[in-house]
Amino acid sequence: MIVKQPDTITTRSRLGRGGPPSDRPWLWAAVAAAVLALVLGLQRPVAAAPVQAEDFRGTTIVLPQPAQRIVCLIESALSGLYMLGLKDRIVGVPASVYKESLRPYYEALDDRIRSRTLPAPGNWDFINMESIAALKPDLVVLWAHQTEAVEVLERRGFPVFGVFLQRFDDVHREIRALGRLAGVEEKAQTLIGLAMEERQWVRDRVRSSPGANAPSVYFMWAQGDLETSGGTSTVNELIEEAGGRNVFGHLTQEHLVVHWESLLKADPDVIVMWVNETRDPSHVLVDPRWRSVRAVRKGRVHELPDIFTSDLWTLKYPLAVLTVASWLHPDAFVDMDLTARKMSFLEKLYGSSAVARVAARAIAN
Amino acid sequence: MPLRIRQILVFGLPGPLLVVSLFLGPADSIRALEVMQWFGAGLGVADGPENAELVGAIVWDIRIPRIVLTFLVGGSLAASGASLQAVFRNPLVSPYILGLSSGAALGAALAMATARLPVYPSAFFFGMFAVGCSYVLGRVGKTVSSVSLVLSGVIVSGIFTALLTLVQFLTDPFKLQTIVHWTMGNLHNADWKKLRDSWPFLMAGFVGLFLLRWRMNVLALGDQEAWAVGVHPEREKILILIPASLSASASVAAAGVIGMVGLVVPHMVRMMLGPDHRLGIPACFAFGGGFLVLVDDLSRVLTAFELPIGIFTTLVGGPFFIYLLRRSRLGWEA
Repeated sequence: MIVKQPDTITTRSRLGRGGPPSDRPWLWAAVAAAVLALVLGLQRPVAAAPVQAEDFRGTTIVLPQPAQRIVCLIESALSGLYMLGLKDRIVGVPASVYKESLRPYYEALDDRIRSRTLPAPGNWDFINMESIAALKPDLVVLWAHQTEAVEVLERRGFPVFGVFLQRFDDVHREIRALGRLAGVEEKAQTLIGLAMEERQWVRDRVRSSPGANAPSVYFMWAQGDLETSGGTSTVNELIEEAGGRNVFGHLTQEHLVVHWESLLKADPDVIVMWVNETRDPSHVLVDPRWRSVRAVRKGRVHELPDIFTSDLWTLKYPLAVLTVASWLHPDAFVDMDLTARKMSFLEKLYGSSAVARVAARAIAN
Repeated sequence: MPLRIRQILVFGLPGPLLVVSLFLGPADSIRALEVMQWFGAGLGVADGPENAELVGAIVWDIRIPRIVLTFLVGGSLAASGASLQAVFRNPLVSPYILGLSSGAALGAALAMATARLPVYPSAFFFGMFAVGCSYVLGRVGKTVSSVSLVLSGVIVSGIFTALLTLVQFLTDPFKLQTIVHWTMGNLHNADWKKLRDSWPFLMAGFVGLFLLRWRMNVLALGDQEAWAVGVHPEREKILILIPASLSASASVAAAGVIGMVGLVVPHMVRMMLGPDHRLGIPACFAFGGGFLVLVDDLSRVLTAFELPIGIFTTLVGGPFFIYLLRRSRLGWEA
């Protein structure tokens, strides 16, 4: 200051009247205020506009600003949040991500899960209200049918986004709404576009398959050989998107237990099994009850590889569609590296190659 | 109606019912005529149906094992219920009174949740274990009174139910659904293997009860009267409890928890044939088997999808039991 003072004086005397603002203290003050405002402006974002979206209960969720602290207790929705690039805004996850079948994927997505430091205040069936309150979320994502928990949380002032998925379009709707509530709507649209593009690619491949007709498909849930899905289900959509026909598509139930006799009479061309810990295609192929079924006679019994990559309730659903389509219409995918395609798709969705690397083994199967 | 006719009805009706059941199935399945043609071809008296392979698979692999297993399960539950009602001298006792159903359900749930145990043996073992616990806890000194046994059964049942709930709570939704379906009765999974695994236990239990049936008449009179005629009531109770629990446990392991059959059928039989267990035990087996086959026929024919048999037995048996109660002709007044 002392050293610079003469310079300042010199400059002042050189420039004389009409010179720089040094002659006018009020101008200096204004410039300083402007600079200060600019600096402060860089540090603090401009007050964000409120965001809103309708959830699956038909309730409009209004947030004063895009969600910054999200507790998500639905694994599929959580996957969507990671795809949306909201990792740093997730403060609570469902306990199921710490299960053996899912943990490696989420460890690849989030170091806090690897170090077990990301709280899991509940799951699809149980919620620890105290833990949620301690996380101070500005958005909680729950199943829409968890009505009691939803009510309690809303009474305590936590905005709740209720989810209910029945069709692939519902997944799009969910991602779009979450994107809106987190202020990343554009990213959501990009992801949805990616999934739709992949879905269309599979559709086109199946259509281009020589002599493609729709093989009849029986989908077997892990709960039992007779547990399947009717026409109003994501499973039905999976089969149809893959170029097949659900043998129980005429039944309206989302989930049902069919008669053995009806199943034998339906005589499906292909059996698709959901990820199953206790049974695999080899069991079905040697089970005497199944022996008259065409799919068994021809050895066309397949099991989806794992829960994460076969998820029908996230934007990953085209992976399952592609897998099933390749079983139903093998000719349409001859000489194609489906593994590489699936890996690339997964990488694009999550914006990370780490997940794809974890998934590599399941995808290759 | 003369007793002789009633006896013929109780013992004779299940035969034709089993045969008719072979021709019944869901509407979208095979027709009765095709089944007839298939049997005709087997006997060499007619040409087989066009879809002989399908008909053969349905009749041989699906219907026959299911009907036979259903009959054995229904019969075992009814015989077990009748014998326990005699032992406890209580008309409201069912085979599940000593915690058998909750024990078996816990065993099955553990097997399904962990995927490391086979369901059938696990359910069977835990069912028997629960009965054993009830007996040990209900024993005071060297005697086991009916009241203490029933009370310990209630407590053991409660504990096993709590453990079952804990397993359900900790398991994932997919497995939870399997467990819930299992506990509602699951005859739709009947096959030859299950029948082969089950029938020795079911029949061993029934044969045991059949051999001990006259002692039930004595026990039904009360402990003092039993002593008076030279029967050791405590020893006889254990002797009867073992086959009763064995057959009920095997039933639950094979078909899940099927309510009402072990409670209602003994009353029906008592109404028709009187309180004599020498006739009542085999009659309960025949009538109970027929009753469950009939209810299962309804569940197979009425809907395009499987409804757990436990729902049907309760829907059919419950109102009927209330009707019997209101008529007060349960045979306990005699």
